[in-house]
Amino acid sequence: MTRQAAITMDYGHDLLFGTFITPTARPVSQAVELTRFAEDVGLDLATFQDHPYNPGLLDTWTLLSYAAAKTTRIRLAGNVLNLPLRNPALLARQAATLDLLSGGRIEMGLGTGSFWDAIVAMGGPRRTPGESIEALEEAILLMKELWDTETRGGVRSDGPFYPVSGAKRGPAPAHPIQFWIGAYKPRILKMVGRSADGVVPSLSYLKSGPGELAEINKWIDEGAEAAGRDPHAVRRLLNIAGQFSRTSGGFLVGPARQWSEQLADLAHRYGVSAFLLGSDDPETIEFFAKEVAPMTRELVAARR
Amino acid sequence: MTDYGHTLEFGVFITPTADDPAAVVELARLSERLGYDLVTFQDHPYMADRLETWTLLSWVAAATERVRLSANVFNLALRPPATLARAVASLDLLSGGRFELGLGAGAFPQGVAAMGGEVRTGGASLRALGEAIEIIRALWTTGRRGIRFEGEAYQLVGAQPGPIPAHDIPIWIGGYKPKMLELIGAKGDGWIPTLKYITPEDLAAGNRAIDAAADVAGRDPREIRRLLNISGVFQAEAGGLLQGPPEQWARDLRPFVTDLGFSTLILMSDDAAEIERFATEVMPALRDAVADRPVMTVKRAAIRAQRREGIDYEGTPAGIRAIEPGDIDYPRVKSTYLRGGAPGIVLQPANVEQVIESLAYARRHPDLPMSVRSGGHGVSGRSTNDGGIVIDLGALNAIEVLDEATRRVRIGPGARWMEVAVALGQRGWALSSGDYGGVGVGGLATAGGIGWMARQHGLTIDHLRAADIVLADGSLVHASEAENADLFWAIRGAGANFGIVTAFEFEVDEVGEVGFSQLVFDASDLAGLLERWGAVVENSPRDLTSFLIVSRQRGGQFIAVALSMIASSYAETILARLQPMAQIAPLLDQSVYLTSYASVMANAALDDHAGVGEPLSRTGLLDHITPEFAQAAERLVQSGASYFFQIRAVGGAVADVDPDATAYANRAANFSVVAFGASPSRVEEHWPALHDHFEGLYLSFESTRSIERLYDAFPPRTLERLRDLKGKYDPENVFRDNFNIAPRR
Repeated sequence: MTRQAAITMDYGHDLLFGTFITPTARPVSQAVELTRFAEDVGLDLATFQDHPYNPGLLDTWTLLSYAAAKTTRIRLAGNVLNLPLRNPALLARQAATLDLLSGGRIEMGLGTGSFWDAIVAMGGPRRTPGESIEALEEAILLMKELWDTETRGGVRSDGPFYPVSGAKRGPAPAHPIQFWIGAYKPRILKMVGRSADGVVPSLSYLKSGPGELAEINKWIDEGAEAAGRDPHAVRRLLNIAGQFSRTSGGFLVGPARQWSEQLADLAHRYGVSAFLLGSDDPETIEFFAKEVAPMTRELVAARR
Repeated sequence: MTDYGHTLEFGVFITPTADDPAAVVELARLSERLGYDLVTFQDHPYMADRLETWTLLSWVAAATERVRLSANVFNLALRPPATLARAVASLDLLSGGRFELGLGAGAFPQGVAAMGGEVRTGGASLRALGEAIEIIRALWTTGRRGIRFEGEAYQLVGAQPGPIPAHDIPIWIGGYKPKMLELIGAKGDGWIPTLKYITPEDLAAGNRAIDAAADVAGRDPREIRRLLNISGVFQAEAGGLLQGPPEQWARDLRPFVTDLGFSTLILMSDDAAEIERFATEVMPALRDAVADRPVMTVKRAAIRAQRREGIDYEGTPAGIRAIEPGDIDYPRVKSTYLRGGAPGIVLQPANVEQVIESLAYARRHPDLPMSVRSGGHGVSGRSTNDGGIVIDLGALNAIEVLDEATRRVRIGPGARWMEVAVALGQRGWALSSGDYGGVGVGGLATAGGIGWMARQHGLTIDHLRAADIVLADGSLVHASEAENADLFWAIRGAGANFGIVTAFEFEVDEVGEVGFSQLVFDASDLAGLLERWGAVVENSPRDLTSFLIVSRQRGGQFIAVALSMIASSYAETILARLQPMAQIAPLLDQSVYLTSYASVMANAALDDHAGVGEPLSRTGLLDHITPEFAQAAERLVQSGASYFFQIRAVGGAVADVDPDATAYANRAANFSVVAFGASPSRVEEHWPALHDHFEGLYLSFESTRSIERLYDAFPPRTLERLRDLKGKYDPENVFRDNFNIAPRR
């Protein structure tokens, strides 16, 4: 296949800038403080990884709830929550609850899970890649059903992963919660196109670099179209990492102007509309929020 | 008539209705303001008109400050124990230890099934609850090994334990059936029945069943708190149980406390007025009515089983935090930064009176080791032990300014130097301490303090103007040049032998921005590099203090890192000082910052210590880096016997002080040498060649305990005087864990 990366893509979403904060248990309040800091410096989103088998980390749902209560404006999401160790029916009620409490600031970042030995160690299931994608789609549909209080009658499903027998609908969240899925490969990307609202890969996992985003988009778009959906319905988020320095030292290593140009380029070429910075360093977070974000917005606006 | 002796507590039980989430949160906050001890919520995840209880508890924890929180009770069937344990520990940590775990086997099987939960009934659900308690407790510990659990309901295959909650979370269990009561007696920390579902006679019978089961399990029934969910009606005329005016409520409730042993009463109500009335009219009346009942805490049998011999655990001084081997906090406090420990008890006094009581307690155990800990970084000072008593001064960490004009500050022994640097830095001041911000004030400021500005501003002890000291006999004395001058002399260099300093008064320096540089050298010619570095340091003005660290890189190459502080905010001065240093060897990397002393000291994570084993560290004070010394050092480093080799510049202002002015007497030395090793025999092979060149040693960096080291640390005249003073201030040799000076009698 020839690389078509030079073709620009833009899915028309507003640009979001956020953080990807380590939910470390030591020091215990670091993640909450960084979330408040991210809000103070004007970022749109605070997200946390979820590895419930890792005892060095706080439980991500607990942290999301706690951090949401300690903030007033910033939106929050898992990046991404580990489905196999969370019951999706319960998670739907949890997310709706937190969305209600927080005034509609919660999005549902969700993933298939990948460290199966660790998941099994905690009493969770072991799933093949195929099963894990099916389970994820089943969970998404189940959660949407549970949030849908307009429809009458309980929610029923035979599974196979999450059978429910007449679960009551509700509570309805305060706003339509978006499903953002951690995904890289064709099959799950097509599922994202079909059933989810966003994709959130990490740049560092793209073996052949940012160009791989074109592939990711292609599969999502294909999945969306096959399901009769508009590909614009799926937001393209991206976890990034980098270093602020006065002189340029490569991709996202350099001054604000360079970062902004590189991010604007990602927005322009691959339709990325949310950049989530993996950093626990307040200075870097502030730099990203106050220098990179506004400059990137300007560059993108100029090109749109 | 039964009373299990628990403190009387009050809680609320609020319906987590989803219609008005803000109102639910507000009721919880109101309860906190009204003085309730506990806010609880039911947990029925299959009910769609309720807020989800875990999320709500997390939110409320963030929205409150004091009140403790619990589910009443969690539905285990929809909350697998392994993830629940981590979530509970997380919330307990985030909330500062305010979370308690109410747990039930999970009623309403249809609801559970509707949510995709595993339905267990009867005996199977009870066994699952028993398994869950074991799993949760196992995950709340630390250990290197994963947890394997082959249960009927739950299987874990190597789940890593942790995080450890902030406090010892009790597991309170709801339920009524005989088998459930048996389980509570065997494994629970509390029983939560609801009064409207049970008669007082059956409460008494339930208690008896629990007590009998506790007995069988080798537990003390008093380990199990009895909590009761109550509800009633406030009305003017007297009616049935809890139906009447507040005075009647208090009268009605009293026998539940004193005769049935229910010490936590939880009001089930969503009515703000009722919650307020109970708090303002029933709670005080009931407290008064039962004020004379004896209250005591009984630790769980599993904790008592881990106690060490010869320690009077029941007799720890009241009000002082005491941590014993079975306690949840023990892994956090048993070891120090560099040393593994297994003390029998750690006392954490919070003020001077408590220090005196802690010392008296320790002295009642004369045959056990006693360690005093400030920050827990000591190399020579043990600050932990095996089977003995640790007095941990971490809570005495206040930093206050006494006089702006003379820059006089008062600092507690438990403060960390990075905290001190921040507090002083806010005023444009600094006090040269060590090179690491995590070190505590107490140990360093009673030994010396060879820091980043030693050549410019002297040792830390050179800034000491007075101290408050608890002596071996329990008396608190003030020492300064004017008062107890001999003691004041002794604690500046040999303080660990004389008492516990509870406050230091320093006169600190005005220090603006400073230069801080890291130069990385190729150390292939290590001896030459050491010699040239030494010469540069000795020839530099005092505003430069440099520490050199030599290490072996992967691949075998030796590098040397010179970390230098230049006490100047002028770029030209800073660069001028570094110029000669940059010439001493091929430069691999360099950085120079104009920064603050506080920023340089902000180099530590104030984390729990997890040292293992014993450190091996040798040290010596050196006048000059001669070619002979440099070659001996090169042989040591190249042999691989020392994995961390550091030389710190001293001299300058340090040498201005008369050697007889303080117990730190080796003032002439220009350098302090430290070598950490792994194998005593390998270090010993090379060390004599270095030792020949030394003129004394700085005791804080020496891990060996030979009497010879005492002679190295203190010149004869100093040591003679110290012996006399030891005889005067600590004749029974109570303080002996750090370079013990035998008292002259």
